[in-house]
Amino acid sequence: MGSFGHYLATHFDTLKAEFWFLFVGGVANGLLYAMVAVGYTLVYGVLRLINFAHSEIFMSGGFAGYFVLRAMVGATVPTGFTSVLIIVLGIAAAGTAGAAAATLVERVAYRPLRRRRAPQLAYLISAIGASYFLFNLAGKEFGHLSVSDPQPYVNHTVFTIFGAPVLMYDLIILVVSVIMFIALDWLVGRTRLGRGIRSVAQDAETASLMGVNIDRTIAITFIVGGALGGVAGFLYGLNIGVVYNMGFVPALKAFTAAVLGGIGNLRGAVVGGLLLGIVENLCVVFVQAAYIDVVAFGILVLVLLVRPTGILGERLGRTA
Amino acid sequence: MIRSFLERAPIRRLLVIVGVVAVIELITGPPGSNQYPTSGFTGSYAEAASFFGLFRTQRWVVFLALALVAWGIVELWTRYGATIRSRSSSALAGPRQVSEKRPVRVGFALALLVLGILLPHIVNNAFWQSALVTYVAIYVLLAIGLNVVVGFAGLLDLGYVAFYAIGAYTTAWVTGALPTPPPFGHALDAFWAIPFAVVFVVIAGVLLGAPTLRLRGDYLAIVTLGFGEIITIFANNLYGITGGSTGTQQIPHPVFHVGPIKYSWGLAPVPYYYLALGSVVLFLVIFSLLQRSRVGRAWTAIREDEVAAESLGINPLKFKVMAFAVGAASAGFAGVITASADNFLFPSSFTLTFSINILVLVILGGMGSISGVVVGAIIIQVIQAYLNHTPPSGYQQPDLYIYVGALLITMMIFRPAGLIPSRQRRREISLYEESHEGHPDEVLLGDDV
Amino acid sequence: MKEKVEERQPMKLRFNKTVAAIASSALLVMAVPAIGVASSSGAAVKHRLPTYVIGYEGPLSGGNLQLGLNMVFAVELAINQNNANAHRQFNLKLARYDDQGDPTISPTEAQAAVANKHLIAIVGPAFSGATAAAEPYYSKADVATVSPSATNPSLATKGWHNFFRVVADDSVQGPADANYLVKTKGFKSLYVVNDGSAYGAGLAQAVATQAQSDGAKVTTATVPGTGQCNNGTASATEYQAAATQVVASGASAMFYGGYYCDLGLFLGALSSSGYSGVVMSGDGSDSPALIQGTTPASAANGVLLSCACSASTNKAFNRGYENLANFSAATATYAPESYDATNTIIAGMKALLAQHKKITRSNLVAELHKITYKGITKVVHFQKNGNISGSAIYVNKVENGKIVQLGLE
Repeated sequence: MGSFGHYLATHFDTLKAEFWFLFVGGVANGLLYAMVAVGYTLVYGVLRLINFAHSEIFMSGGFAGYFVLRAMVGATVPTGFTSVLIIVLGIAAAGTAGAAAATLVERVAYRPLRRRRAPQLAYLISAIGASYFLFNLAGKEFGHLSVSDPQPYVNHTVFTIFGAPVLMYDLIILVVSVIMFIALDWLVGRTRLGRGIRSVAQDAETASLMGVNIDRTIAITFIVGGALGGVAGFLYGLNIGVVYNMGFVPALKAFTAAVLGGIGNLRGAVVGGLLLGIVENLCVVFVQAAYIDVVAFGILVLVLLVRPTGILGERLGRTA
Repeated sequence: MIRSFLERAPIRRLLVIVGVVAVIELITGPPGSNQYPTSGFTGSYAEAASFFGLFRTQRWVVFLALALVAWGIVELWTRYGATIRSRSSSALAGPRQVSEKRPVRVGFALALLVLGILLPHIVNNAFWQSALVTYVAIYVLLAIGLNVVVGFAGLLDLGYVAFYAIGAYTTAWVTGALPTPPPFGHALDAFWAIPFAVVFVVIAGVLLGAPTLRLRGDYLAIVTLGFGEIITIFANNLYGITGGSTGTQQIPHPVFHVGPIKYSWGLAPVPYYYLALGSVVLFLVIFSLLQRSRVGRAWTAIREDEVAAESLGINPLKFKVMAFAVGAASAGFAGVITASADNFLFPSSFTLTFSINILVLVILGGMGSISGVVVGAIIIQVIQAYLNHTPPSGYQQPDLYIYVGALLITMMIFRPAGLIPSRQRRREISLYEESHEGHPDEVLLGDDV
Repeated sequence: MKEKVEERQPMKLRFNKTVAAIASSALLVMAVPAIGVASSSGAAVKHRLPTYVIGYEGPLSGGNLQLGLNMVFAVELAINQNNANAHRQFNLKLARYDDQGDPTISPTEAQAAVANKHLIAIVGPAFSGATAAAEPYYSKADVATVSPSATNPSLATKGWHNFFRVVADDSVQGPADANYLVKTKGFKSLYVVNDGSAYGAGLAQAVATQAQSDGAKVTTATVPGTGQCNNGTASATEYQAAATQVVASGASAMFYGGYYCDLGLFLGALSSSGYSGVVMSGDGSDSPALIQGTTPASAANGVLLSCACSASTNKAFNRGYENLANFSAATATYAPESYDATNTIIAGMKALLAQHKKITRSNLVAELHKITYKGITKVVHFQKNGNISGSAIYVNKVENGKIVQLGLE
C-alpha cells in the first residue's frame, strides 16, 4: 500500500507540473470529438440508430480539405488574410464533402431498409458495410499511406495559460467549433427546421400527422451532422494528416463521448467530448500511453452500466 | 417535362444501373496513390478493356455496354419475372418437398461429409491444401460459432475475435510457450489446451455478457468491439504474461497419445485439416441439436420479441449469456487449432477486421441458418484465398473489403435472410415487415421501442 | 496452380501522373521481357538452357507495398541482367509471393513457393514476423532464403540451416545507435520510446540497455502505433500528450523504435510542444514517406535515421533500377540489399556449376554457407547462423526534406 501511495504522490506531482500543457491539448482533442459526437447524436435522435458509417464522413471531410490545401498552398507557408481564406475554403469543402457522404450513406444504406421496415440488426450491418466500402475505396484511390496536409498557417504560440502554450492550431479548433456549436444550437432550438427535427425525435408518428415531412427531416439531419463531421475531419487532418482509415479511431472516441454525455442530447455530446478529451490526455501521467484506449473503453462500459442515459440524459427532443 | 421523363420507372432503373456500374468500374479499376489521387479515377474509366472479346476500347464504353445489357435483363425480369418465378417454384415444389424430408437431408449431409474427407486428396496442390485449413476450415468453425450469437440469439457481437485470441493464447500457455508458467508447473500437449480454452472462453463470455447483454443492440455492438480491442491491447503490452508484441513462436505441434495410439502432427497442413473438420462436425452437431432444443426456441423467442419472451417466463439475460458462451466455445477451439498448427502467435493478428470478416461470412450464408453459414463461409473464403494468391491486375488485397462492404449493404437491402436462409428466419422477416406496415413511428424506430 | 509470373502488370501505375505516362510505362514493361525473350531465343540455338525460379516473398500490396516494390524491382533487375548475359549458364524466372508482411499469410505463401518444383531459392521474406512464420516450411524443404531486410535477432537463433540475411540485425543496430548518441554525440539523458510492435519494442530495448551501460540516464515509454498508420489501433491524438512527457523529462535526445508513419505524427507533436532536442530512429523510419507524413514537413528536419541498409552509390545499378522501377534507387530502402541478395544466390548457383555439382535446393544452401561475394553494398559472407559477417550500420539525416547518408556509425 505504501508503494501505491508513493506512486500516487509522485504522479500527482507530475500532474501538477504538466496539468495545463495536457489540459490545452485535451480541450483541442475534446472539441474535435465533440464535433463528431454531435453527428452521432443528431442521427440517433431522429432514427434511434448509431450511424456506424460516420467515421467515413469524417474521412471524406479530411480528404476534401487535403485536396483544397494541396491546390492552394504553395512552397511558402501563407500568412494573414491568405491563411484565413484558405482555411475557410477548406472548411467549406470539407463540410460539403461530409454532407454529401452522409447523404449518400443515408440514401443507399439506410433509406431502402427504412422503406422495408427492416429490423435494427439490418441497419447496423448495412452501416458497417457502408463504412467498409467507403474507407477501403478511399484506400484504393488515394493509397494506403498517411500523408500530411500542406500547412496553410504558421503554427506559432498565440498566448500561454499558466505557462502552457496555446498554438494557432488549438485556437482554430476553438473558434471553428464554438461557431459551429452556436449555429447548431440556434438551428435546432430556434428555427422551423429545428422544430421539425425535434418533433421527429420526440414522436415521429405525431410529427408526421402534424405535417412534418419525415424523409426530408431525416435527410437534413444527416446533412447537418455530416457537415460537422466533415469539418472535424478537416481540422483533424490539419495537424495529423489524412489516410483512408483515419476516421475509425476518432469516431469510436466520439461515440464514447456521445454516450458519455447522453446520446441524443446535443449539449451532452459537447460536454462528453470535452470530458473525454481532457481525461484521456491527463491519464498519460498515470498509465502508459498504450493503455489510454483501455481507459476510454472502460469509461464507456462504466457509463453504460451505471448511467446508460449519460451525464445530461438522452433525448434530443427534450433537452436541446 | 425532363423530370417526368426521368421519373418513369424504366428510366429510373437505367439510371440506377448506370450509377452502380460506374461504381463497379471504379472498384475494379487500377489503384491511385496519394501523389496522383486522380490516376485511379482516370485509369478506371479511360484504360483499355474488351467486351467479352467482341470489341476493345476504353473501359467506360465497355461498362456502359454492360450496363445496357444488365438493364435489358432487369426490364425483361420486371415484365416476365413473376411468371418465371411462379413457374419455377411450382416446378421446384416437388424436389423441394423431397429435399425437406429428414432422411434426404441426413443423406445429403453425409455425402458432403464424405466429400469433405476426400477433399484434400482431390485438390492435390500445396497452396490449396494449406488454404483449406488456414482460409477455410478455421473460418467455418468461427462462423458457425458467431452464428449462434448473431443468428440464433440476434446479438451483434463485434468482439468475437477476442474469444479466438483467448483460445490461441491458452494453447500457448498450456504448452509452455508463454512467459507465464504453464498450469501445474509443466508444459502439456496442445490437446490439453482444449478443455482449458473452452473453460476460459466460456468464463470470458459470461463475464462480458452478464453486464453488457442488458444493453440495446447498438450499444452491445460497441461494447463488444471495445472488449475485442482491450484484449488485443493487453496481449500486446503485458510482456511478462503474454510475451507482448513479439508474441511467441514456440508452440509445439500437437501429439495425440492415448494408450497404444500415437499420432504426431507436423508441418503438413492436411492432418490439421482433419482436426479442424472433426471440430466443425462436432460443433455442427452440437449447434443443430441446441437449435432444436428448448434453448434454441428460447433464443428465437428473444430474438423475435424480447418483451413477449419475458412474459412467457423466459429469462432473456440468462439465454443471451448462454448464447455468448456457447458461441465463444467454437472460437476457442479454432484458436487452439490455429495456434498449434502455426506454432506462433502475434497479438497483431487479432483485429476488429477479423471479427467483421467472420460477421460477413455469417450474413452472406444466412443468419441463423447453419447450412447457409457453412456454405457462405466456404464461398467467401475460397474466393479470398484465390484472390490473395493469384490477384488479377489492379487488385490489391485490401480491396477485398470494398467488395465485402458492398456485399453487406446489398444483402441487407435485397436478401437480409442470406443466401440459404433458415426457413424460420425467412418467415420471421417477412412477418415482421408485414406487421410493421403503416406505422410511421415504428418505421423509424426499428424494433427497440 | 498458376504462379505469379512477372508478366503480371506491376503496380507501378500508382506512380504515373497522366495517361501518357501510363502508356510509356506499359511500353517499358513490355520491353523488359522482350529483351529476355530475344536473347534467350538466340541462346537456345546453341543449347537449351535450364530455367530456375527465384522467388520473392514480401509485401506486394497494402500499407507496406512501397517497401516490397523497392525490393522486388531490384530482384527483377538482377534476374534480367543474368538473362541478358550471353555467357549465362541458366535462365532465371521471378515468382512473386505476396505475404503483405503479415505472419498469418506468409506460411500459406511459403507452402505455395515450396511446392513450385523449379523454385531454387527465395529472396526474403521481407519482415521479421513473416519470416519467423514461414521459415519452418522453407527449412523443411531446404529452400535457401536470403532476406534483405528481416532484422529481428531471434531469427538467427532458431537453428534454420537455410536462413541467411544480408543486413546486420537489430542487436547490432540498437547498441550502435546508443553508442552513436551517447559516445559520439555526447548526449547524457535519453528518452527511449517504442511503438509496441515486435520490431520497435526489440530495437528500443537494445538501445536503452546499451545507453544505460554507456552511462546515460534513460527513460523508457511505450506509445502504441496508431490507427492512422498500419501497425496499430491507438488514437493519433495521443502524441500531443506523449510529446509533453518527452519535453517534461528534460531529455536532450529521443530515440524512437518504430515505423515512419507514427514517427511522423510524433515529430509534429514534438515540434508544437517546443521540443528542441535531437530525435533518432531506426531503419523502420528510414523512408521518404516519413517526411511526407510529418506535419509540418519541416519538423522532420534534423532527424537521425540509422539503418543497416545503405544508399547505393553504384551508378550502373541506379540507372538500371530507375529504368525498371520508374522511381529513383536513391530513396528505395533495401533495394541495393535485395540486389545483392539475388546476386549472391546467382553466384552460389554458378559456383555449384563450376564445381560440377547439380543445382539443387540443398546444394545451394550448402554453397551459400561457404560463399564470399562482393556486392554493391558490402562483401557478402555469412556466419554459421546465417547472419552477415561484419556489422555495418549507416546513419542518415533528414536535411531540407531529404534523407542524406552521413556515413558509418
